[in-house]
Amino acid sequence: MRTLAVPAQLRRFAGPALGLGVLALALAWVGYRAFGAGFGAGGNVPSLLIISLNGLTLAGLYFITAAGFTLIFGLMRVVNMAHGSLYLLGGYVAWSLTANHGVGFWPALVAAAFAGGGVGLIMQQLFLRWNLGQDLRQALITIAVSIILADQMLVHFGGIAETITPPGRLADSVRLHVYGLQYPAFRLFVLGAALAVGCGLWAGIKRTRFGMVVRAGVDDRSMTSALGINVQFVFAIAFFVGSALAALGGVFGGTMLSLAPGEDSNFLLSSLVVVIIGGLGSLGGAALGALLLGLVEQLSSFYLPASYTSDSILLTFALLIVVLAIRPAGFFGRTA
Amino acid sequence: MSARRAWAATWYGVVAGVLLVAALCPVLFSTYFTSAVAVIVLWTGLAAASLTFLAGYGGMISLAQTALFGVAGFMVAKLSVEQHWNAWLAALAALGVAVGVGLLFGAIASGSEGIYFLMITLAFAMLTYYYFLQAPTFGAHEGINGVMPPKLLGDPVLHPTRIYYAALICCVLIYAGVRYLGRTAFGLTLQGLRDDPVRMSALGYTVRLHRTLAFASAAFIASVAGVLSAWDNTRISPGSIDITRTIDILTVAVIGGLYRLEGAWVGAFIFVMLDTYARGLSDRFETYIGLVFLAIVIVSPDGVTGLARTIDRRIRELTGGGAKPPQSPATPTEGAAA
Amino acid sequence: MSGAPLLRVRGLEKRFGGVHAVRHVDLDVLPGERRAVLGPNGAGKTTLFGLVSGSIFPSAGTVELFGGDVTNVPESQRTRLGLSRTFQTSRVFGGLTVQDNLYLGALGVRGGRLRPLRTAKDAELRAAGRRGAERVGLGTRLDTLAADLSHGEQRQLEIGLALVAEPRLLMLDEPAAGLSRSERQLVTELLLSLEREVTLVLIEHDMDVALTVAEQVTMMHEGRVVMEGTPAEIRASKLVRDLYLGSAYAA
Repeated sequence: MRTLAVPAQLRRFAGPALGLGVLALALAWVGYRAFGAGFGAGGNVPSLLIISLNGLTLAGLYFITAAGFTLIFGLMRVVNMAHGSLYLLGGYVAWSLTANHGVGFWPALVAAAFAGGGVGLIMQQLFLRWNLGQDLRQALITIAVSIILADQMLVHFGGIAETITPPGRLADSVRLHVYGLQYPAFRLFVLGAALAVGCGLWAGIKRTRFGMVVRAGVDDRSMTSALGINVQFVFAIAFFVGSALAALGGVFGGTMLSLAPGEDSNFLLSSLVVVIIGGLGSLGGAALGALLLGLVEQLSSFYLPASYTSDSILLTFALLIVVLAIRPAGFFGRTA
Repeated sequence: MSARRAWAATWYGVVAGVLLVAALCPVLFSTYFTSAVAVIVLWTGLAAASLTFLAGYGGMISLAQTALFGVAGFMVAKLSVEQHWNAWLAALAALGVAVGVGLLFGAIASGSEGIYFLMITLAFAMLTYYYFLQAPTFGAHEGINGVMPPKLLGDPVLHPTRIYYAALICCVLIYAGVRYLGRTAFGLTLQGLRDDPVRMSALGYTVRLHRTLAFASAAFIASVAGVLSAWDNTRISPGSIDITRTIDILTVAVIGGLYRLEGAWVGAFIFVMLDTYARGLSDRFETYIGLVFLAIVIVSPDGVTGLARTIDRRIRELTGGGAKPPQSPATPTEGAAA
Repeated sequence: MSGAPLLRVRGLEKRFGGVHAVRHVDLDVLPGERRAVLGPNGAGKTTLFGLVSGSIFPSAGTVELFGGDVTNVPESQRTRLGLSRTFQTSRVFGGLTVQDNLYLGALGVRGGRLRPLRTAKDAELRAAGRRGAERVGLGTRLDTLAADLSHGEQRQLEIGLALVAEPRLLMLDEPAAGLSRSERQLVTELLLSLEREVTLVLIEHDMDVALTVAEQVTMMHEGRVVMEGTPAEIRASKLVRDLYLGSAYAA
């Protein structure tokens, strides 16, 4: 009798081997473009450094936003399609406070985080408490909310793109001491903030009692509840934190990039891609996904021949396909 | 005549009436209505039908249908406008390309279920939109104008009758085709996958293959809608498939009934009527649509057709027992699977 | 009851993270056998089933079916070789009628699954489905939606789905679960009436059903096979008594 299967070893390693092969090719291409003209200041290394920093800082922004998304999914299995709207809301609130009401950057930041967290919490309490487990229905509800929020933001904040002014000391560029390069301080700050958020979340989840309850709730909701722990309270806190992170992302994004209708979809997409790559519910996965997405986006838009900018989208696409082909649940995702 | 018979007769009468009106639309209504509302209802409904087919028969809720709609629309536009292909050939090629893309998307997403599948298809939809937005070969954000339907169909704005009937024929054929397909080996397999993929695998079916083919079939439906829309509008642009339009198609399906094939056109009718006549009433149209969508998902997830079915069942119970024999597909139960 | 084993398992192991669900299991099932796999909850019986049917991949060890190595063969292909299984909780197609359910069961092991047309083959499959329905006592319920069946009827459909594929090896996971006394009686009769061309392996908690139907018993505990014998030997075994009652009486 013939067995029609590929030997297990081959199947197990074919995927990662293919992925590594693609990665090697990509690195070779970047390496050639970057270093092919030598290491001097006249070569391409300085641009590589800037592009890489762009990629890293963008990754930082993606991580902060996606971390909230994956936290909410990991705990409550809610795919919050209004996450992008909360991002934009946070940005607009901070912009409105700093530009129109003379509030300083840092207080505005805190206010925006609370605003985002609050709106998210209200949505959860009103619409997502009573239908736990009905994933699709909840996703549809959050989509409806995102439609409403997008329109309301259009009314209250207008349709033109706005930027938030960074606070005094972060408004300048920092000298990099290499090749005489300079880089915007605020973007470096965002990178630092992303690291801080990552460490904070990790510590909060792995090291505190609250975090333990969160993890227990992820593993077995009914059991945790049966132990007398107020699961609904934990969910509410987690949803607030996740939404506040989205709003925080919006403030940072509004400062280093811009705010406009459509950015909500943009950052929902990036959160989706980051979390699909990294695995739903995994913080480490979100970090990896953010890194990959940020770097691929920046490197490809710079290193592809000029007429191919639309193809950088295709590269993001290809990234998604390659990852899903190897790991259908994302790098660190758990299936079901 | 018993109350029950009277009710059944009323029901059939309503459906027959609607079909009659649909068949005679260009005669009964103004040219404006036919071109600005009726034709749009038909191909919007068709686009939504690709979603309700996939959801109702396959248990897969996909947000990538607009993307496939767009691929077909852009292909037919590019081939007929820039490459000067014959319109019918361009349409055929567009369908082929869109189905091919559908196979690709389907193959990738077929390993995922439920909410994860939804997310992946949404990512596909957005990426496709951003691609067309930036690709100079497809007109970037301007899109492609001057798309001419085949001579047989005439001018869609001044003489919409022909394109109306073309769209109507497509819708009727596809509806009948799907209902027929639902009783074939392929269709029943799909419904088995909807109800219990684990059992299907244990019964000897390769789940991913069937899901991929189902996705490609839905892509076919969406691509017919895309070609019709490109011809009807004589243009296509990324704006036709942006996130708003993606959500619109979902809204149409949810309003009409996400898991019922007919729901697509019922929802399309309601949506397009509101869009044409109610949008001007308020600048906050989107907010109101969002509220309606929210209300429907909370109150009657089966949309208008579900509501109609519930009323039908209640009246049958009231007028004397005995349920009507079930018609597939039934609404899948949530919670356990996803 | 002789010849090469229909099912041969060697050194089968399965770990789920820290849980060692199946430890080094060896098993031979000969053609025509009636085998029961018994053991307390958590003994690894359902995991063993999953490993044999292909829904779970082993951490180590091999599975041979019908004389060939199937360790790396996916589940759907093993079914097409002649293996059918049922599940502990009924997995039926709620949105389809009994008739359509059994149609799918019959179609799964035959070709033409992708047929987008209605052909004469469909009539054959439906006839097979009708016969299958009558066999498990659902002959009058052909047009009922599976979701509208009672729990007992769903269990019957569950077995019907596995039988209509005309398997060589039939694996039943707790076929009597949740059934009333008379329903259990029907299941026992059905299993006893199976022809010898169908080899039967079942997991059961209900001792009456298991020991009436089985001719050989494999006893599992904590992932290992601890005893094999006839029903009489099992009934008389002190070890078995200790295992089932032991935890309450150990200390």
